[in-house]
Amino acid sequence: MCHRTKKGPRPRIGICGWWNIRLCSAVLAGMLMSGAAWAHKVNIFAWVEGDAVHTQSKFSGGKPAKNALVVVYDDTGNELLSGKTDDKGAFSFPAPKRTALTVALKASMGHLAEWRIPAEELAGATSMAEGGVKRPSEAALASLDRPLAEGRHVGGDRTVVLAGAGVSREEIKALIDDALDKKLAPVVRLLAESVDRGPTVVDIVGGLGYIVGLAGVALYAANRGKGK
Amino acid sequence: MHISEGVLSPSILLAGAVVTAAGVAIGLKGMEQEEIPSTGILSAAFFVGSLVHVPIGPASVHLVLNGLLGLVLGWRAFPAILVGLVLQGLLFQYGGITTLGVNTMNMALPAVAGYYLFGWGVRRPSSPWVLAVTAFGCGACAILLSGVMVGLSLYLTGESFLLAAKLVIIAHLPVMAVEGALTVACAMFLKRVKPELVEGRHVPQN
Repeated sequence: MCHRTKKGPRPRIGICGWWNIRLCSAVLAGMLMSGAAWAHKVNIFAWVEGDAVHTQSKFSGGKPAKNALVVVYDDTGNELLSGKTDDKGAFSFPAPKRTALTVALKASMGHLAEWRIPAEELAGATSMAEGGVKRPSEAALASLDRPLAEGRHVGGDRTVVLAGAGVSREEIKALIDDALDKKLAPVVRLLAESVDRGPTVVDIVGGLGYIVGLAGVALYAANRGKGK
Repeated sequence: MHISEGVLSPSILLAGAVVTAAGVAIGLKGMEQEEIPSTGILSAAFFVGSLVHVPIGPASVHLVLNGLLGLVLGWRAFPAILVGLVLQGLLFQYGGITTLGVNTMNMALPAVAGYYLFGWGVRRPSSPWVLAVTAFGCGACAILLSGVMVGLSLYLTGESFLLAAKLVIIAHLPVMAVEGALTVACAMFLKRVKPELVEGRHVPQN
């Protein structure tokens, strides 16, 4: 299998050869550790928290897309606003409209990714942004806290206590939304992190298998042509 | 290097597809039976090379290896790169299916250019220094030309050429150096253990 060149200074190439082998093995090792490798593809993930929309942009594999352009469109494709991502690939903006939004990440060099936020996700947020429902005032919150504590102490019925506190249905809804946003924030972050983890070993081995198969088919075809 | 779906205008996509179809036809037509395995192996190297990330520079940049493919394969780089890109598109979601033509053209045409510009230094029996310099030039120039072509594709769609090309080329400067060195290493290695692979069938046996 090993053919040597008939010409050329052999010892020199020999030394280089050792270096080559080491370099090749280093490259191979790099390829095998491809779980941590990055490549050319961008992702954007957007979620609603309160009345703000947060976006997270990154290259496939997890490196944040810094200083990349994020453009927000409405349902009909009108550009609403745009901004640049920060050092962590994050960009946040107040929800501008009640309609479904499309958040497009335009990284340089022809990279484009989009994320759609359906109208339902924004319904609660925008109503607050438009001032349709006010958050409960501090006084109302204080009055809410006290009877609740008392109610718990005496083991009374909560709904009765709440009704007595003078908090409207909308205000309670807003409070629950707030609490849920707070509780769900880590989950949402986790989701944002895990959107596209990059190619898996299965993808890589599968792709190599396809190439081997294609070469096999080509060889088969070439051989058959020869036989005839 | 992989241009995403929905960035380019249809006329450029079509032009890229036509050039790629022509290149693939030339590559397949001139392919001998003995050359099929090497084409497959280098196609596989191209496919996996995109997973090796070069951690320098502002953007996320990976190896392309098109200089190496051009050096060894010549026109056969077209089918090899097309196959690699199809699989990258399907399995890794890099680039896209509609941009296959443009992306293949942007990476394979510089590979063929490298073959004609620098291939002589590797095909002929020459001193290791000439071999190293030409191989490095082939690896680095293929990346540079690809960067220019990506910039040109974006420019024809409406982005300002200087800005787009500058970004692409600056981002790929470290890749040019790495690929140049890698091409030298591979060319020397192949020349030593399997010279007929890089020397091709045009070289008279002596």
